Amino acid sequence: MSSDAPIPPSGPDATRRVFLRRALRAGAAIAATGGLAAWLWDRHPPGSLGVRAAATALPDFSLPDSGGRMAIVTGTDRVRTLRRALEAMGGIERFIKRGDRVVVKVNAAFAAPSILCATTHPDVAAELVRLCLGAGAAKVLVTDNPINDPESCFALSGIAASVGAAGGEVVLPRASDFADGSLPGGRLIRNWPMLLGPFRGVTKLIGAAPVKHHARAGASMTIKNWYGLLGGRRNQFHQDINGIIVELAQLVRPTFVVLDGTMSMLTNGPTGGSLADLKPTHTLVVSTDPVAADAFGATLLGKSFHDLPYLARAAQCGCGTTDFGALRPVRADVS
Amino acid sequence: MAISTSSRLPSARESAAAATVCLVLCATLAWLVRAQSRFSPAVDIAFHGSKAAAEPKRAKAQDLFSTLPAELRPMSAAEAFGPENLSDKIDGKAEVYLSAGVAGLRCQRMALAAAPSTWIELFVFDMGKPPNAYSVYSSQRRSDVTDLQLADYAYRAGNEIALVHGPFYVEIVATDERPATIEAAGALARAYVAATPVSAHADVSSDQALFPREGLIPGSVTLLSTDVFGFDGLGNVYVARFRGGRDELTLFLARRTGASDATGAAAALRTFFVDDCGGKEVARPARPAGAVIIETGGTFEGVFSTGAFLAGVHQAPSREAAERWLQRLGESLAAKK
Repeated sequence: MSSDAPIPPSGPDATRRVFLRRALRAGAAIAATGGLAAWLWDRHPPGSLGVRAAATALPDFSLPDSGGRMAIVTGTDRVRTLRRALEAMGGIERFIKRGDRVVVKVNAAFAAPSILCATTHPDVAAELVRLCLGAGAAKVLVTDNPINDPESCFALSGIAASVGAAGGEVVLPRASDFADGSLPGGRLIRNWPMLLGPFRGVTKLIGAAPVKHHARAGASMTIKNWYGLLGGRRNQFHQDINGIIVELAQLVRPTFVVLDGTMSMLTNGPTGGSLADLKPTHTLVVSTDPVAADAFGATLLGKSFHDLPYLARAAQCGCGTTDFGALRPVRADVS
Repeated sequence: MAISTSSRLPSARESAAAATVCLVLCATLAWLVRAQSRFSPAVDIAFHGSKAAAEPKRAKAQDLFSTLPAELRPMSAAEAFGPENLSDKIDGKAEVYLSAGVAGLRCQRMALAAAPSTWIELFVFDMGKPPNAYSVYSSQRRSDVTDLQLADYAYRAGNEIALVHGPFYVEIVATDERPATIEAAGALARAYVAATPVSAHADVSSDQALFPREGLIPGSVTLLSTDVFGFDGLGNVYVARFRGGRDELTLFLARRTGASDATGAAAALRTFFVDDCGGKEVARPARPAGAVIIETGGTFEGVFSTGAFLAGVHQAPSREAAERWLQRLGESLAAKK
C-alpha cells in the first residue's frame, strides 16, 4: 500500500458505499480462506489412530517370578552349552510347563548356509524344540518374517529340516498372519503390521539369535532379533535404528532369550558372507533379561554396551540392565 | 480500533503491530513447512498403513548367465534390487552400498552339478563408477586372504571370492570351502568377468602408493566414499592403518581438484575437529608446512595439504606420534606425488 494513499473513512464518518465495499472485500477474503481450507482438508484422516494405538501387539510372556537371571556357558557344542545354561537357570521346566504352546523366534533373515552364522544355528533351534517338548509343551512353533523369501530362508539356513526333525513346526509367514500392532506410547510402532498370527493361543516366547556385527545398529543380537516380527516396509526404520530397537525391547517381553556366541560375526554384518568374518568365541548365553544378554554379547564383539546406544536407552525404559554382572550370571564350561 | 481521521497515515504503533502480526504469521508458516517436510516414520505409518503393509515388489531379473560353467546349474531365479529395496536382500548392510552410490544389485544361486546340496550365490553390485565399486570392496575386504588372478583386486577369503570389475563389485559366496566348491566359484568368477565387458577399471594403485610403505598394515587401505570420520563434508578419502613401535594409527589422503581445493578441505576438516568434535589445536609442527594437530578426547588428529592433496593422521595415541607420522606422510607425498 502506498504511504500517500488516503485511508478511507471508518467509524461514524464511513459512508454506506465504503461500508459495502469493505463488507464485500471481507466476505471475499473469508470465502477464499474457507476455500483454501476445504482444499487442504484431508477427508480421510487416521481417525482411529488414538484408539488403536492403545492396543498392545503382544502379551507379556515373561515369568513374574523369574526376575533377571542369566547363565553364560563356554564350549563349542551348541547343544551342550544350551542344555548346561538352562540347567544353570533352574532347568527348562522352570520356564515351560505341561501344555504350554511355545513360539521360538529365530533369526532366519537370510537364505544363507548355517556356517555363515548370519542366522540362528539349526542346532540351537532344534534343541530348544526338543527341550520344550520334553518339558511337556503341547506345541512348539518356530517362526520369523525374513527379509528374503521365507521358504528359502528356512530351508537353506537348515532351520526347517532341523526343527521338523525335532518335532517342532516351522510357521512361514502368510499375509493373513499380519495384523496391525502398536506399542502404547510408542513413536514408531503404531498400527504397524506385525507377525501376530503364530502367537494365537501361545503361552511362552523364546528368542534365539546369533551374535553379529550390524552395519547400521552396531550389533544384532536378541533384541534386534524382534525386528523380524515387523512386516511391511520396515526398512524405513533403519533411519532410526536405535529408536526402533528400543521400542521392540519395550514391546516384546519374552520368557527367556538364547544368545549364541559360539561363532560371532565380527565384521561385515548382518549378512557376513565369508568365514573370515567370524571369530570362534565359544560362548552361549541364556537370560530372562535381553538387555543384559546383549550387553554381554557386545563384549564378544570387542565392544561394550556404550557402543550400542539402544541398550542404555532400553535399560532406561525398564527393559533390563546393561550391568549384566549385577545379575550374578552363573558361569560354566562344557568344553 | 476506530480510525476517525479521513486521510492520516498509520501511526508507528500501528505499523509495529502490523509488522508483529506479519512476523508471527511468517514464523508459523516456517514452522509448518519445516514440520511437514521432516521425515517421520510414525506419521508415514499412520497415513499409509495399508500401503506400508504391502510386500515390496521384487523385480524379476534375467539369469545372470546365458551359459553357466559346466560345474554349475541354476538353483534359483535371478533377483534384482534397486537402491530403494536393497535392504530387502541384505538388511542393514545396504547402508554400506547406499552411501557409496549403489545403482542396483543382481544375484542368483547356483548349485554344483555334481553335488546339488552344495550351492553358490553370486552377488553383482552395480556401483555406477569403478571408484565406488572399489570403495565398497575395500571397506569390506577381509584380512588373511588369498589374492587371485581373476580380475581387479580379486581375493578369496575362506568360502568367498570378491572382486572389482569396472563399476561392479562382485561377491561369490559358497556354502563351504571344499576344493571342488571353491573351484566352481572360481569358474563362475572367470565366466562372469569374460561375459561382462567394461569400459573402465578402478585404478587406485597410484594414489595408494603415496602412503609410506613402512608400517603399513597389509590390506588395510580403504577408500571411504562419504562421511569420513563423521564429517559429512568429506568424501573419497583413502585411509590406511599403520603400526610402528607402540604406535597404531590411521593415515589418510585424498586427491582434490587443485591446491586451493585441498587447502580449503584441510581448513574445513580442522574446523570440524575443533567445532564439532570439541577438539583443541595443540601444535603447528614445522613439517609438513601448514600442518595442525588437534586433540580430541584423548587422541590426536593431524591435518595438512600439499599440492592437490589433503592428508593427515587420525586418532594418533599421542601428540608426538601424530607429529612423527605427519612428517613421514609428508615426506612420502613429497617424494612420490
